[in-house]
Amino acid sequence: MGYASAIKSALFKLILVLLAIALASGIFGSYASCFVAEALSTQRFSARPNSDNGNDVLGGEKTRINWEFQANESAPITGFTLVFPEGTTFNEEDASVTLMDDSGTTPGENDHLKRVPIQTVYSIDNLDFSAKFLNEVSADAYLEIRVQNVIFPQNGGELMFKASVNLANGDIVEVRDLLQINVKSFSFADKLAKDLSEQDWVKAWNSNDFLRLFFNPPVLVSSFPVVMQGFFTALALVLCAYPCAIPLGLLLALMRMSKLRLIRAIGSIYVNIIRGTPFFLQLYVAFFGLPLAGVQIPSFILGFIMLFLNSGAYLCEIFRAGIQSIPDGQTEASRSLGMSSFQTMFFIIIPQTIRRVIPTMTNEFILLYKDTSLLAAVGVMEVVMYAKTIVASTGSITPYIVAAFFYLIITIPLASLVGVLERKLDVSKAANNQVNVLDENDISVNVKDESDIDGSIAPSIALGQTQVTLQEDKNLQNDGAKNG
Amino acid sequence: MDNKEVIYQTVDLHKSFGELNVLNGIDLDIHKGEVVVILGPSGCGKSTYLRCLNLLENVTSGKIYFEGNDITSKGVNVNKLRSKVGMVFQQFNLFPHMNALKNVMVAQQRVLKRSKEEAKENALRNLDVVGMKGRANYLPSQLSGGQQQRVAIARALAMDPHVILFDEATSALDPELVREVLQVMKELAQSGMTMVVVTHEMQFARDVGDTIVLLNDGKIEEKASAYEFFNNPKSQITKDFLGHYSE
Ligand SMILES: Nc1ncnc2c1ncn2[C@@H]1O[C@H](COP(=O)(O)OP(=O)(O)OP(=O)(O)O)[C@@H](O)[C@H]1O
Ligand SMILES: [Mg+2]
Repeated sequence: MGYASAIKSALFKLILVLLAIALASGIFGSYASCFVAEALSTQRFSARPNSDNGNDVLGGEKTRINWEFQANESAPITGFTLVFPEGTTFNEEDASVTLMDDSGTTPGENDHLKRVPIQTVYSIDNLDFSAKFLNEVSADAYLEIRVQNVIFPQNGGELMFKASVNLANGDIVEVRDLLQINVKSFSFADKLAKDLSEQDWVKAWNSNDFLRLFFNPPVLVSSFPVVMQGFFTALALVLCAYPCAIPLGLLLALMRMSKLRLIRAIGSIYVNIIRGTPFFLQLYVAFFGLPLAGVQIPSFILGFIMLFLNSGAYLCEIFRAGIQSIPDGQTEASRSLGMSSFQTMFFIIIPQTIRRVIPTMTNEFILLYKDTSLLAAVGVMEVVMYAKTIVASTGSITPYIVAAFFYLIITIPLASLVGVLERKLDVSKAANNQVNVLDENDISVNVKDESDIDGSIAPSIALGQTQVTLQEDKNLQNDGAKNG
Repeated sequence: MDNKEVIYQTVDLHKSFGELNVLNGIDLDIHKGEVVVILGPSGCGKSTYLRCLNLLENVTSGKIYFEGNDITSKGVNVNKLRSKVGMVFQQFNLFPHMNALKNVMVAQQRVLKRSKEEAKENALRNLDVVGMKGRANYLPSQLSGGQQQRVAIARALAMDPHVILFDEATSALDPELVREVLQVMKELAQSGMTMVVVTHEMQFARDVGDTIVLLNDGKIEEKASAYEFFNNPKSQITKDFLGHYSE
C-alpha cells in the first residue's frame, strides 16, 4: 500500500463517513479463525506483527509464524508438514516445537501452562517445511510450533497455508483447518522508513535521545500514512458536525431571546449545562452511559452527535452576542417599514450578525476540530488514537508529533484567516471615513445664512449627550429584565 | 386646514415608562397634506410621541385614530399600519449589508409583495427624487451622512406612505450636510406629503411648517400656525424657547 492508495482508501472512508455509515476500523487482525477438523483443531495461527504501527504483518519483512493446535487423534503425532504460500522464504533456524502441558493447572489459564520443548529434526523442500519429532508426543497433546525468519511476499494478501500431520501408525492426515494470514503489502512509507533507518545520518540523528524520541525519522515516515487515516476521520467528524451545529446554535439563540419564558428557560438550561461541563465528561456519559441503557450507536455516529450538540451551545452564545450587538435602530427601522419580527430577524438582523461573527465562528471551528482528539478516550479512531497505538508499539513519541502536524495543518491557516477577516473589517472602516471626507466636496447646497448653521450645531451636540444616557438607561433596563 | 381629511387623531394620549410619565394627555389632529412641526426641549417626549404614532411604543392610555381607525385597540394589524406610515430616524438606520437600492427595495418586496422588477423601478424613481439615483449601488458605509439620510427618506417614500414621521432627521449630520436633507424634506412638503417633523431647525419650521406644536413636559404648550407661532407666541414658555434660539 503506497501513499496514493493510502489516500484513496482514506478518501473512500471519508465518503462512507459522509454518508453517515459507521466506519469499520481499518485494522484487521491477522488471526485466523479456529475451525475444528478431524486430525487436530487449530487454536491459533498467526504471524507476529512487524510493522512500525505494531498492528500489521507486512510482506518483505521478517516475521515469525505461530501455530498452536490441539491434537485429537487416536494415535500419537510424530511430525508434520507445513506448506508455505508461494513466494515466502523461511529457514529451519530457531524453529521450535513446544508441548504445552496443562496438568495441574485450571483450564483457560494459558499463562500457567508448562512448556516442554520437543526435540525435532527439520527438513525443507521448496515450500514444504517438515518436522519429525524425536520425543514421544501423546495423542491429545497441545502443541505450539514456531518458525522464525519468515519473509512473506512483498505484495501481501490473504495467504493460505496447507498442513498435514504424521501419525505413529504411519498415516498422514491432512489438516482441514483454515490456515490463513493476512499480510499487508510493504508500503512505500514502510520501505522508506526501513531505508532511512539504515542510513548513517539517521543513526547519528537517533543517537541523540531527544531527537530519537520526538523526531525519529523512520517512525515519522511510517506513522504518517497511519495517522493520516485518523486525520480524515477527524476532518469528516468536524465537517459533518459543524455545519449541523450552525442551525442548532441559531435555533438556541432565538430560543434564548424568545418572549416566552418557557422557551427561554429550555434554551438557557441546555446551553448552560453544555458549556458548564467539560466535553470530556459529556463524552464519558454518552459513550459509557448509552450502551448501559441499551442504546447502541456506532462510535463514529455518536462522536458526531456529541460534537454537534456541544458546538451548538457554543455557537448559540456566539450568535446571541452577535444579534445583540446589532443596534436597536436596525430592528426599529425594519419594523417601522412594516416588516414582521420574523422578516426583520431573517432579512435584516441575521445577515448582519453572520458577517460580524464569522471570525468567532471560525475560532469555534478550530476549537471543535481540536476537540475531536477527546474522542480518542472513548475509542473513536481519530488522529490521537492512531498516534497512540503506534506510540504504544514503538515506544517513540514521534507519532504524537505527526499528530500535532495534522492539527496544525488545519488550525494555522484558519487562524491566519481569522486575522485577515478581522483586519478586513478594520480596513473597511478606514475606507468609509475616506469616502466621507471626499464627499464633503460634493455638496452643492447653498448656505443661506450663518446663524442657521449655528442653530443646528448646538442642539445636535446636546442631543448627542442625551442619546448616550438614554441608551445606557435602556441597556440597564434590558439587563434588569434579563436577570429578573 | 380643518376642512381637510384627518390622517391622525390623538385623543388624551398618555405614555409612561414605569414611574416616568413622558406624555401627559396629548390631543392633536394631523390633516392630509399638513406639515406639523413639533418643537420642544430635550426630553419633553417628542420622539416618544412619534413612536406612539406608528406603535413602536405601546400607549399607556388614550386613543390614536389613523384614518378613522382606532390603532390602540387590540387586534390591530401593526405591520399594515406601519407600511402606511414612513419613519425617518436621526441615525438614518440604513441596513448596512444592503446597497442603497436594496435598502429601498426590501420592504416593498417583503411587505407590499411587489415583484422584484416593480420594486426596483419604484426604488430608482424614489432615489431619483432624493437625488441619490447615481449612488444606487453604494453601500451605506460608502455614503456621507446626508446621502444616507436621503436614501432613508427614499426608503420611506417607496412604501407610498400616507404620512412620514421625521425624528430629528438632520441632528446627526455635520452642519454642511444638513441642507441637502432639509432641501429634500422641503420639496416633499411642497409635493403635498403629510409630514410630522421633530426638529431643531427653526428656519425650516418657519419656512415649511404649516402647524407648529411646542411640547413641554409631555403636554402641548402651544399649537399655532407657523406665522402665529413665530411672530406672536402666546405662552411664556414658547417665548423663552424661541428666545433661546434667537440668541
Ligand atoms: N424606552 C424608554 N424607557 C424609559 N424611558 C424612556 C424610554 N424612551 C424615552 N424615555 C424617557 O422619556 C423621556 C422623553 O424621551 P423622548 O426621547 O421622547 O424625548 P425627546 O423629546 O425626543 O428628547 P430629545 O430632544 O432629546 O430627542 C426622557 O426622559 C427619556 O429618558
Ligand atoms: Mg428625540
